[in-house]
Amino acid sequence: MRIADKMQFNQVNKNISKNRSDMSELQNQAATQKKVNKPSDDPLGAARVLSVRTEERGNSQFIKNINSAKSFLEFSDQSLGELSEILIRAKELAIGQSSDAGANSESRRATAEEVAQMFQQSVNIGNRKLGERYIFGGFKTQTMPFDREGEYFGDDGDMQIQTHKDSFVAMNIPGSKVFNGIGLNEDGVARPGVLDPRTVDELQDVRRKEQEARELQNQKDLNSIETRGPASAFNPSKMGSADPVTKERGVNIFQTLKGLEISLKSNDKVGVQNTLDFLDQAISQVVMARAEVGSRIMSVNNVTDTLQKAIVDNKIAASQLEDSDVFQLVSEINKADSALKATLDTSGKMIQPSLLDFLK
Amino acid sequence: MSKISAMLDVGKRSMSNSQTALQTVSHNIANKSTEGYSRQRVDIVTSPPIGVGNIRIGMGARAGSVSRTNNPWLEKQIQKEGQNMGYMDSRADSLARVEQIYNEQMNKGLNHYVTDFFNSFRELSNNPESLTSRSLVRESATALAQDFKRVNDQLKGVQDDLDRQIETSVEELNQTSKELAQLNEKIQLVEVQGATANDERDRRDLLIKKMGEKIDITWAEGKDGMVSVTAGNTAILVSGSSYNELKASRTDNRDRVEIFYRPSENGSLFQMTEQFKGGKIGGALEIRDQLIEEHLNTIDNLAYMVAKNVNEVHIEGYDRYGRKGVLFFEMPKETKSAAEGLKMNETVALDVGRIAAAARPDSPGDNTIANMLSTLQFRKVMDNGGSTFDDFYNSQVGQIGTIAERALKSQESQKNILSQLVNIRESVSGVSLDEEATKMIEMQKAYDASARLIRTADEMFDTILNLKRM
Repeated sequence: MRIADKMQFNQVNKNISKNRSDMSELQNQAATQKKVNKPSDDPLGAARVLSVRTEERGNSQFIKNINSAKSFLEFSDQSLGELSEILIRAKELAIGQSSDAGANSESRRATAEEVAQMFQQSVNIGNRKLGERYIFGGFKTQTMPFDREGEYFGDDGDMQIQTHKDSFVAMNIPGSKVFNGIGLNEDGVARPGVLDPRTVDELQDVRRKEQEARELQNQKDLNSIETRGPASAFNPSKMGSADPVTKERGVNIFQTLKGLEISLKSNDKVGVQNTLDFLDQAISQVVMARAEVGSRIMSVNNVTDTLQKAIVDNKIAASQLEDSDVFQLVSEINKADSALKATLDTSGKMIQPSLLDFLK
Repeated sequence: MSKISAMLDVGKRSMSNSQTALQTVSHNIANKSTEGYSRQRVDIVTSPPIGVGNIRIGMGARAGSVSRTNNPWLEKQIQKEGQNMGYMDSRADSLARVEQIYNEQMNKGLNHYVTDFFNSFRELSNNPESLTSRSLVRESATALAQDFKRVNDQLKGVQDDLDRQIETSVEELNQTSKELAQLNEKIQLVEVQGATANDERDRRDLLIKKMGEKIDITWAEGKDGMVSVTAGNTAILVSGSSYNELKASRTDNRDRVEIFYRPSENGSLFQMTEQFKGGKIGGALEIRDQLIEEHLNTIDNLAYMVAKNVNEVHIEGYDRYGRKGVLFFEMPKETKSAAEGLKMNETVALDVGRIAAAARPDSPGDNTIANMLSTLQFRKVMDNGGSTFDDFYNSQVGQIGTIAERALKSQESQKNILSQLVNIRESVSGVSLDEEATKMIEMQKAYDASARLIRTADEMFDTILNLKRM
């Protein structure tokens, strides 16, 4: 083949620039420690890295969510623990005062005072605050849920917290359920509402159902006979047994305590005996609510473990996709380096001499 | 019968031949690095001999012509591949820029801000009462809108840049057409006298290659030695010694540079943008009008769907004051330019209390709407329910990556093809100093010998003239 001078120059140029660009590419990889520096380096990998990162950041956010939910749940658990102790003490007192052996109108009046104290303690528990939020007010976290008479001003809202892509955990138990015994499940457990809308359609569905429930409640309220006077504070006919329509079963802890107090004050032995049943139910209601809270704490703890593992997995996946293998990289740099040196060396030799150098 | 004077004559001619050849050698050496130059050779032919009786005496040599060593088919092939190279260069260059817009390996991009946006609603659902978490929603929404605008602006920036490239290329193309027409005329003038216009032809070949790098051309040489060049299908740029210009300018219809052709000096302009599919201009047009337009559409689509879905949910809720929810984003009228104009509703942006997190009025702890908004991230709302926002965007990134990768690879292989061809061309037409040096020695020796010959003839004359004296 005939070799013209320009061919040699072109070839030298081409080879050196090829070696240099290889080198610069590798150097860039070494500096960034990444083998994917732009989408075209590995299109599938780059897209995959993006979704892995989204997942990782989502998971980190879920852990934050869980931590905030956990403090709420743990505080609820502690408060319910105190509440159940109060109720157990109330029951002890009630048992002590339910017969005439060792109890009389004097002791009952004295006990009534103590029960009144307990009533206030329970109200205080119901008004517990975590930070700036009442924990038993349902969605109405900024309104004091119970007044001094134990009347509820909150609602039945469950604050759902996202703990995973498709799962939510309610971080509160509304006071209406655990204190008033309204809206409990058939088995008496304060579970979060099954109606948890995710789309606009579902939301409208929920709203329709809530409207129906409200109408039903209104009818129930209309049909029940209002009692006046002290008796209205304690109306056994409205409590304890399962509601025939809604299948609800629950006791109002405040009414129970109030009832006990009134019975004690009025030296009504039978009344005290009647309260025992309700106290039992109240205790089991609180214990079950506490168990529910406990199970939620356990479940979010489990999810935290899963999430933490998932975050590590995500990091590994992203790293495998985009990080450079340093050992391989260094060996490739050495290879490219020696290739570049060889090119430069031979180029120098090739360009130098021509026949003219030897014509003297 | 031979004559001494004939010897003198042959010697003189031979010296002049050597000189011509040496001058051509010097021309070659001088043009060793000239782009498009083909080495030249003096074709030396024997002079017609003189017949005396039955002997024919050779009368030396004469310079027939100076010709260039050149393979026209190879030149044509290089021109064609050069056209592809121009197309691939401009594609790869602009794709590399488009790709950077979506590059989240180093910088934060839409993927990051979309995730931030939905995470801010998760934070809000943790604590809907707090103004801090509400402000976080506002900040992330503003950042999201800004990034939509950034992507949109940068895509349009690449388009603007391509516009300018097209304008410059068209300008250069017109200059080249003009020079080509002049060369046509010159070549015809020279060649009508029987000589070959070597240097002009080299230059013309080069100009045609340059034109091809810019735009797709077809060309042919006529019998008169003039070439005519047509760009696209119908735009005749050069015909004989006349040329027509292309014009790049913006139209009222679209804020983009279009290419017009004026077939005659005073004729009207024809819009021919769609005809050009090759060379730098073809590549730039394809990226500008197809790929980037598509990407603008998808970004607009994404922005529109984000705004629409977020708004649909947000408006169902109740804000911190128990008022019914308003639009979260200002609703774009249509998909087109939704990304550019995406912004938060003023009412919400000015007062984060207006962010509706609750499904019930006067329930500060109600986070139902915030939850619904954050789950939008995982709902398949794009592509008629086929993909989530993230999937949709990530697949865009994957797609542009694939296209850019392919463009880079074909640019690389086209470079190799072209350099291979250029090598072959150099092998045929390039100047080799070794060769020229040899030629130089050869011709110098011939020159020396011819001079010696003249001296010998001179001496022979002397001998004859001195006969009488003896």
